[in-house]
Amino acid sequence: MIQVNNLSKSFDDIKAVKDISFTINRGEVFGFLGPNGAGKSTTLNMMSTIVNGDNGTIFIDGYDLSNHQNVCKQLIGVVPQEISLYDEFTAYQNLQFWGSLYKVPKTELKNKISEILKLIGLYDRKDDLIKTYSGGMKRRINIASALLHNPKVLFMDEPTVGVDPQSRNRIFEIVEALNKQGITIVYTTHYMEEVERLCNRIAIIDDGKIIAQGTKSELQKQSGVKEMVEICFKQISEKQLDGLRENLKLNIIKNENCLAIECDANKELSKIITASNSLDLEIVDLELKKANLEAVFLNLTGKQLRD
Amino acid sequence: MILTILKKDLKLYFSDKKGVLLTFLMPILLITLFAFAFGGTKGTSKSKPIELLVADIDNTSDSKSVLANLDSLSGITLIPKEVNEASDLVLKGKYVAVLIFDKGFQDSIIAGKSLPMELKYDAAREIEMGMLQGVLMQELMGAVGKKMIKSRMTSYFDTNYSAMNPAIRTKIFDDMDSDKVGVGSSMNSGMDLKMTSVIKEDSKKGNLGLIQAVAGTAIMMLLFSIAAIGGGLLDEKEAGTLKRLLYSPLKPTDILFGKMATAIIISILQLVVMFVYSWVVFDLPIFIDIPSLILMILATAFAVSSFGMFLVAIAKSRQQLQGLSTIIIMMMSAIGGSMIPLFIMPVFMQKIAVVSVNYWGIQGFYDIFWRGLPLVDILPKMGVLIFIGLTMSLISMRLFKKNLLRLV
Repeated sequence: MIQVNNLSKSFDDIKAVKDISFTINRGEVFGFLGPNGAGKSTTLNMMSTIVNGDNGTIFIDGYDLSNHQNVCKQLIGVVPQEISLYDEFTAYQNLQFWGSLYKVPKTELKNKISEILKLIGLYDRKDDLIKTYSGGMKRRINIASALLHNPKVLFMDEPTVGVDPQSRNRIFEIVEALNKQGITIVYTTHYMEEVERLCNRIAIIDDGKIIAQGTKSELQKQSGVKEMVEICFKQISEKQLDGLRENLKLNIIKNENCLAIECDANKELSKIITASNSLDLEIVDLELKKANLEAVFLNLTGKQLRD
Repeated sequence: MILTILKKDLKLYFSDKKGVLLTFLMPILLITLFAFAFGGTKGTSKSKPIELLVADIDNTSDSKSVLANLDSLSGITLIPKEVNEASDLVLKGKYVAVLIFDKGFQDSIIAGKSLPMELKYDAAREIEMGMLQGVLMQELMGAVGKKMIKSRMTSYFDTNYSAMNPAIRTKIFDDMDSDKVGVGSSMNSGMDLKMTSVIKEDSKKGNLGLIQAVAGTAIMMLLFSIAAIGGGLLDEKEAGTLKRLLYSPLKPTDILFGKMATAIIISILQLVVMFVYSWVVFDLPIFIDIPSLILMILATAFAVSSFGMFLVAIAKSRQQLQGLSTIIIMMMSAIGGSMIPLFIMPVFMQKIAVVSVNYWGIQGFYDIFWRGLPLVDILPKMGVLIFIGLTMSLISMRLFKKNLLRLV
């Protein structure tokens, strides 16, 4: 659906995006994960036509963006990071205005507005002024405004910034529903849990470069990060440790009376507990350390995502 | 504690460069402008001579001699014209007045009769007219008055003292010339300069002060309103809606022209409301020339809207726009005659006024309501307004792309 080749962009002396390439398949939710200032928004701005790249090409649904800007604009919908709505208009008036910019026929637009308002759960509030909406509700209208012309691709630039957990969940449901309708979604965020929940494939971007991309498990493999069980005993002797190693056949790192065991917890956890019991080891603490994207990011970049 | 607060506030105040600029630069600029406008500049710099049209229909040695005397004065430059053309030029506001010496001027001097001379003037240029009148009366009375008295005395001597020694007669006339007999002050007895305003006082026409008040204020307020409307673009930039507009198939120029169209419509509405109000409350004769008024409103609205957009395009934020627009609009209004009527400003200030949108707008409305000129004579002023509008639009377009569209 989207093909980006060797894309670069500088602002004066600052190289915001450095020679990045990636492909986004039709119908997937593609996540751009990276800290603030990593180059996510600049990449999105280039893909959504408002910033010209210095080098490289972008193809959307087979159209070269530099030669077919208007066609590409009709193919994409953009949910900006800011709540870009007119406070003095009602939700309906806002949607009507944004839809009319894409020359959606009146009746079709009217039906589309109703459909989207129902999807985002704000149909009953359609005639209220935006300024009377909560932050989460505004975010939902912000998303709705990008859907009126039936885009094939939806760019969402940190759409959950500043919303409460309940509204965030609601937005996740909307994203999932839209994806089910066949819309390809490009989602930028610096929240790991959002990417983990929503995205089929992920590109980790840092300092203007894509440092890894693929599915979550592919990224885990690329980074070398594995799931771990951390288990602490009242006391453990060398003999008991050897017994465990022999029994489990897993990589075990000892730290005083605690062991870090690299494994697939779903499969191995019960086996670890049974082996410990059989060696008369008294468990005082047990923790499952998942190989999440946070660990992957840390391993790949050497820094925390929110640094 | 008070000192600590004082220090903090002063530090904050002086860190706001725009605020400091408004506090000090703005009053300095306005004081300078008003000082020039009211002629209160230091030194004795000579102002440009007043250009006076003359139509010498009599065309005799006496009329030529009086005109030569006038032409030798440093405060007046004479421009000979045919009487109808001269009257038309004064009517159109190009010159302040025309001095006409009618047939029989010389004969009347010899006969000691009232002189057939007339000064047709433009009442809209009151200050220049006042200065001109003073100089003119003094010189005319001096030159013509002596001729008349000599002529009367010659006639008297011829009738009653025909045997008088010519040397005594010459001595009397010489003493008169050197004013030893003290007739200077009484030389103007029986001599009148007929003063006629080229613009006939007419109940159908507007009052000069009212036209000045309405047109001057309307255009100045219009500039402020348009700057505020245009500022909406900067608000949209800050709110992010401008960015969203750019995601859509709209072209950047569509956004600018859309905003400008809004500004023009609001300008037209504002001008119409102001003129209707002035008609209802102050009897401003707005129906005197409807086609000219409509076209003038359109041209003014276009020029002012473009100028407002230009201000928006050069500003980078709402705050900057406020500072800039206040300074520029106040200056333009002061120079262009919105705050002080042009006719009370010195001539050189009136010349500078042409750089201001306000000037062309106000003069156009003068032409309609005061001078009662036909549309064809007002068209050049409308043309200038449209030219200003087009130029400002072009500059705004370039600056808009450079400043406003730098979103990231």
